[in-house]
Amino acid sequence: MFAELSSILNASPDSFTQGEFILVSDRQSDASFLIHHFLSFYLRARCRVWFLGLVQSFNHYSAVSQRLGVSLAQAKEKGQLVFLEGLKESLSVLIPQDTNTGSKAMDFLRDPGVGLKSLYEFVRSSVSSSGSRAEGAEEWGPPVLLVDDLSVLLSLGVSVGAVLDFSHYCRATVCSELQGNVVMLARCDGEEEEGDGDDEGSETLLKGLTHQCSLTLHVQGLPTGFCRDIHGQVEVCWRRRQGDGQSTQKKLFQYKVHDKGASFFAPGTSSAVL
Amino acid sequence: MLTELLQGTDAGGFLIIQDSASYSGRHLLKSFINAALHREEAVHVLGFEVSEEELKDGLIGASIHRLHFHNAYTDPLGWTHNPAFTVHQFCSEGVTQLVKQTSQSKPATLVIDSLSWILRHVGPPAVCKTLQQLRKGGAVRAIIGLLHADMHQRGTVGSVCHMATSVITVAPGMKGDEALAKITKRSKSGKVMQDEEIFSFKEDFTVVVQNRPSQLGLKQTETEERETDPTANLTFNLRLSDTEREAKEKLALPFVFSKEKKTALLHSGRGSGRILYEPDANDDYDQEDPDDDLDV
Repeated sequence: MFAELSSILNASPDSFTQGEFILVSDRQSDASFLIHHFLSFYLRARCRVWFLGLVQSFNHYSAVSQRLGVSLAQAKEKGQLVFLEGLKESLSVLIPQDTNTGSKAMDFLRDPGVGLKSLYEFVRSSVSSSGSRAEGAEEWGPPVLLVDDLSVLLSLGVSVGAVLDFSHYCRATVCSELQGNVVMLARCDGEEEEGDGDDEGSETLLKGLTHQCSLTLHVQGLPTGFCRDIHGQVEVCWRRRQGDGQSTQKKLFQYKVHDKGASFFAPGTSSAVL
Repeated sequence: MLTELLQGTDAGGFLIIQDSASYSGRHLLKSFINAALHREEAVHVLGFEVSEEELKDGLIGASIHRLHFHNAYTDPLGWTHNPAFTVHQFCSEGVTQLVKQTSQSKPATLVIDSLSWILRHVGPPAVCKTLQQLRKGGAVRAIIGLLHADMHQRGTVGSVCHMATSVITVAPGMKGDEALAKITKRSKSGKVMQDEEIFSFKEDFTVVVQNRPSQLGLKQTETEERETDPTANLTFNLRLSDTEREAKEKLALPFVFSKEKKTALLHSGRGSGRILYEPDANDDYDQEDPDDDLDV
């Protein structure tokens, strides 16, 4: 986990807000480093983590988490981490074999029009079954669902409405019912445009997810262009505060990703500049 | 105008709160719910987007029992086996039945959170038809709906808002906890009134309307005129004392042709060079006047 980001979000492995839907998004940039942060953060916080890894293999996350001090293989063995390897599972759908009894999670690849109900069923059954675990198992914290990433579902032919329904159901189950957290990554390629146009899928998806979430972290490149010492900016926006009234608080930070983490600082205070 | 709308929509009224990703209109929606509860009305909420706890959060009070929350949040599409209320049940019969089940004889206020959810699954024509039937039906006295304008095409938003008697579009204001509301109200006589107001919330969901945006613009120019004093915070002194200021004002500038200079030139003082001119006899000869040289 990135210590600076944790303090920005007023969260520590010992105390963090439950029932939060965190949206990590980026525009013409790469926000996946934040997914690694949240993965190691929640594992350190002793929560059970369900990871839907649709774009990278397990080894990729494992290698990065090793650098952040968390062993994914160990967590998986202990039962703390449940990893859906989307790429592997999709092979069983695309190259069907008789001996295959794999989960139905990636069934939407067969017929994207049907929607993501089967993926949600996979999440739900997996998350609920943990509740009825036998005695003697370790006491874990609240459940956490991480999805990396949602925009690839759009490329696979799933409609925006289906993805928004999926995220709604995940939120209803994990956040509201089980008081856990959900972190989802959504990516955007184009410039932010006003105007009707045709239904630009990823823009509408981003807006829909923004309406649903309680915390957004939006990663963008610097408006002035490429810089060796500052990799971009992150805008953190708290949308909901319990009982505090409508206070949408926004904060802007610049960041730099290194070998073993990322540092966050107020704009203009990069160590290369000061 | 915002306060008037909060005080009560007329029977058959349909109010839409339009919001966007940059500012959520749910807080204003809760203010309307609060106001309706205080007016002793029964409020039925079709909750698709937020859970019951989240919607009721902050709405404390004795009148909370008049708020009936119909849970369409946990399973709006019927993916589990016993859904409470699905989006496909949103038709005038379904809603009327729901309202009549739990309400007393008085017609209730129906709050829809949100219309965007329904529009995503049920097409705009069906939604408009249902809303119109509900308004004429009589089971429901007034309808308040939340609509995310940036989630739909402009045509869809336009057609749904066309049916409304009042539309409030909220946007973030200039200061942190303030918001801007653009209000369009259509009265029964056909008159359309539009207004823009800046408002903020107090803790108990009451709305405080502040000055209008045009007034706010004036205030901004006033602050700009109060410029910072350039002679402050310097290591050298640029200010003038009173005697210095007087001396400065008395100083005659070199190339200005002032009154004193004029009199000095015209009436040259003693001792300065004087020109003595004695006209010669030949000098004054005016050919036109032969008597010019007569010494009369």
